[in-house]
Amino acid sequence: MLDVGRHPNISLMAYSEIEKVEGHEGNFTVTVRRKKRYVDEAKCTGCGACAEKCPTSVPDAFNTGLGTRKAIYSYFAQGIPSTHTIDPDFCRQLNGKKCGICQKTCQADAIDFDQEDKIVELDVAGIIIAAGYDVFDPSQIPEYRYSELPNVLTALEFERLLSASGPTDGHLDLPSDRAVEAEIKALEKKIGKSKRMLEKFEKKFDESSKQFYEKYNKGDYSDDKDRKKWADKYAEYLAIMEPLEDLKKKAESFTTAKRLAFIQCVGSRDFRFYPFCSGYCCMHSIKEAIIAHEHENETTSRIFGMDIRAIGKGFEEYKIRGGNNSNITYVRGRVGEISQGPNNNPVVTYEDTHERLVKSQEFDMVILATACVPTIGIIELAKILGVELDKYNFIKTSPFSPVDTNVPGIFACGCAGAPMDVPESVAQASSAAERAAEIAIQLRQVQNVQF
Amino acid sequence: MNKDILVIGGGIAGMQSSLDLADMGVKVHLVEKLPSIGGKMAQLDKTFPTNDCAI
Amino acid sequence: MPENRDNDVRIGVFICHCGSNIAGYLEMETLAEYTETLPNVTFVQRNLYTCSEGGINEIKKAIKEQNVTRVVVASCTPRTHGPLFMSSCGEAGLHPYLFEMVNIRDQCSWVHMQLKEDGTTKAKDLIRMGVAKAALLEPQEPIMSDVQLRALVIGGGIAGMTATLALANRGYEVVLVEKQEALGGMLNRLNKLGPVMTDASGFIEGITEKITQHPKITAFTNSQVTEVQGFIGKYKVDIETESKTRNIDIGVIIVATGGRVFVPDGLYGYDGKKVVTQLEMEQLLKKGLDSNIKNVVMIQCAGSRNEERPYCSRICCQTAVKNAMLIKEQIPDARVSILYRDMQMYGVENEEMFRDSKAKGIRYMNYDPEKPPEVKPVAKSVQVSVYHSLLGQELTLPADLVVLSTPVVAQEDAVATSHLLRIPVDENGFFLEGHVKLKPLDFATDGVYLCGSARFPANIREAVAQGLGAASRASIPLSKGSVVVEPIISVLTNEEACRGCGLCVALCPYSALEIQNTEKGRKVHVIDVACKGCGVCAATCYQHALSINSFTDQQLEAQIDAFLEVS
Repeated sequence: MLDVGRHPNISLMAYSEIEKVEGHEGNFTVTVRRKKRYVDEAKCTGCGACAEKCPTSVPDAFNTGLGTRKAIYSYFAQGIPSTHTIDPDFCRQLNGKKCGICQKTCQADAIDFDQEDKIVELDVAGIIIAAGYDVFDPSQIPEYRYSELPNVLTALEFERLLSASGPTDGHLDLPSDRAVEAEIKALEKKIGKSKRMLEKFEKKFDESSKQFYEKYNKGDYSDDKDRKKWADKYAEYLAIMEPLEDLKKKAESFTTAKRLAFIQCVGSRDFRFYPFCSGYCCMHSIKEAIIAHEHENETTSRIFGMDIRAIGKGFEEYKIRGGNNSNITYVRGRVGEISQGPNNNPVVTYEDTHERLVKSQEFDMVILATACVPTIGIIELAKILGVELDKYNFIKTSPFSPVDTNVPGIFACGCAGAPMDVPESVAQASSAAERAAEIAIQLRQVQNVQF
Repeated sequence: MNKDILVIGGGIAGMQSSLDLADMGVKVHLVEKLPSIGGKMAQLDKTFPTNDCAI
Repeated sequence: MPENRDNDVRIGVFICHCGSNIAGYLEMETLAEYTETLPNVTFVQRNLYTCSEGGINEIKKAIKEQNVTRVVVASCTPRTHGPLFMSSCGEAGLHPYLFEMVNIRDQCSWVHMQLKEDGTTKAKDLIRMGVAKAALLEPQEPIMSDVQLRALVIGGGIAGMTATLALANRGYEVVLVEKQEALGGMLNRLNKLGPVMTDASGFIEGITEKITQHPKITAFTNSQVTEVQGFIGKYKVDIETESKTRNIDIGVIIVATGGRVFVPDGLYGYDGKKVVTQLEMEQLLKKGLDSNIKNVVMIQCAGSRNEERPYCSRICCQTAVKNAMLIKEQIPDARVSILYRDMQMYGVENEEMFRDSKAKGIRYMNYDPEKPPEVKPVAKSVQVSVYHSLLGQELTLPADLVVLSTPVVAQEDAVATSHLLRIPVDENGFFLEGHVKLKPLDFATDGVYLCGSARFPANIREAVAQGLGAASRASIPLSKGSVVVEPIISVLTNEEACRGCGLCVALCPYSALEIQNTEKGRKVHVIDVACKGCGVCAATCYQHALSINSFTDQQLEAQIDAFLEVS
């Protein structure tokens, strides 16, 4: 990633979109819209002082919404370019409120609220589409109740929980517990405010609120307006304090997730959604189970799948190692339903096809291995490029020319063409580079030698 | 005749294509929709089967 | 020993605030004051961002105006900003390798965020060590070596042929060496290619013609590579053909030697007649099946996913499904059953073929590896009994033909090839790429590349993609015409001391060392363009004969001594 940012032959245009493509192989004219970041790319050093001071917190897309970032942000800590971006949907200044804190903070003078989109025209010989994929949205599957049950996550969300740089610093905190902790935080903030108010009264009347309130309830000071206000505030305080203490007590018993279920083929190999196999999800689940076990070695995982497709180099061995060393068991069967058990624990109901029994089991957390599906922008992009898609909206290629599209001079690689894992993507990326280079580099005139 | 190449997408595939071409001496324009390149792989904690870091 | 350069060592130290990333957590003023007291330091400056244009200009100014002869930047990680600072020194007329970087962000302000005093003390230690090393830095010149603009492709299967054509289409000369008498490899023994069911022979003929007619390609069949000497850009390769042995200069090498299909002698009653492999099935289908065949049973994982061969061979399930469908095409009322453990029909095309096959009436039965199927001869045919693990019942299937899906295994001469090219193989005998995730088509050694089933079993789409991809990787040094290597490499600084024991040669991961017979006896020789400066050799050499540029023993000792002083 760093090499890309630094390479003298690569001009990087992040936060940009393709608007128009004209011409043909060897001679394309491409119009690119460079979206306004409201931050001067040349001046921003990526130090992050602005984001530290920004008062607006928003859900962090990079952390799949599990954490928060500020309205001015770098997409992720090691992102290239490190240029920050203002989110126009949430920035106070851009929404007519008084703020501009980032501008005052920035010592590089990079903030520019008047920035406009830039239109750039490029003349290129060939185009490589590496537009990637989207993760299937499992809320479409009613029986898995993804949107209702807090402790049912997607594989990518789980990935962020495992990450040391993620929202939980790599701990498998349950989302239901995190919600309680967030509530505690919010109540503590309220309590703080309330306490400060009470302190004012306590100072004024030189008495503790508690003592005063006992007397007040006995009927003393019934006609004192100021003291009535004090009493009301104290009642408010108690009304927050009681649930807060209950929640805090509850939070004492919170533990990380240790009983994990992984459900394969969520949205894939499913006629209601996508009939194809995404190829990498079985291995992804095994990896996540192995890493979770590395984090806490009493973790147990069950992987529910039809076929466990460990088809790459070293994959089958990895799968077996996971079973032997990482407390993973593999269950051949499709999960029929996920329901709510005690303490927000999801309960998985499945058919064990080897035992020919329908069973239910309670887990701390359920992880859905969601399908790799065509990216949402691909239809529009294909239209702009004149490129043909297959019936699922992956870019159409042939097995004999795996990176050539129907348009000469336009190539495709990675998951834009079909789901595949990282080494296949890397290999295809080089293939596409090869095909593009055949157009871009004039043929070398090297003397032929006969041996 | 133009000599540059446009790569659409800054995930692992787009980055690898760009690097190969750039190393061959071809000028590459890499366009990414999001604020930073890296794609899905940057979101992964570690990768199978070697459990190496993703970035 | 390097000469004493104290007289002209004038060190400039730039301490970066990185906005508040560093300055927020360390005592910057104390740090700067302390740095001024260090030996040889003649100039100290703090910058808000040393990496910004303003910061860079300050470095250049100090080199010119303050006559600074060594630059130390105390900031973030050299991974991101080292090259920028080095080239900036160069632009100002100071040799780029007279630069040293100290990481007081990642190693001080970030990790000791809550401990301002301790973090500052550690930053003092690191700067003191950096300054001590900087005083001993020596200029280094980048190493350059020409690349012979000719590629060698070993193996004329589909992956090798694709790579050959791609490189030739780019204008490079390619020498293709094939062991067999015809090009085509495994494809010569196949019937149709899934999932589109194209004739393998027609496909191969088309490519073979392109190869034989291409003016840039010399294809040697019935030939093999017998000797490889040299390194990236400058290989000397012996190729033994039918008529003679030729010695050819080569720049880069692509390994596309393919795999072979495991022959299941002694497994499931294999006899090559009633019980055949999928590869043999391809030929039966090509000839046309005997119409008396009514019952066919296929057994998956025959000889794979077991203790001996633990891996899944990736392509056997798709081959079985393809052949099952072709059987149904020839004999529509044939009953075809596939006994499987997991159907490995990954991806879009395979899964689609899998579904189609079910619609065509192919039957799938899940078996338990603990209770594998048994094949018994009865009268003129055979009988397969299997414990159907989903029904929980023992079934007996009559079979006119049993087809075993055996894995692709490494070539018999893979180990010999690995010795010839000094490249590794994995525990299953396939070649081991540079990185299974990120460098699937490279080796750790520069100049040698990999594609097709020599790496791991690949179907046609994957083999073609990898052939093209390996061509791309191999074309990089060819298109540059030379290899430029950073001079941070191993050097035989004390030739006297070297005893030619070869310990370092055995441990070098990049094949960058060799033992030569010199007038002074056996001595190690560093192939400088192959060396990556990892330092394994220098650390191993008990005679201290080898040393790494810019990480010499003296420089490291100076750093250690500086560390042991109390700040």
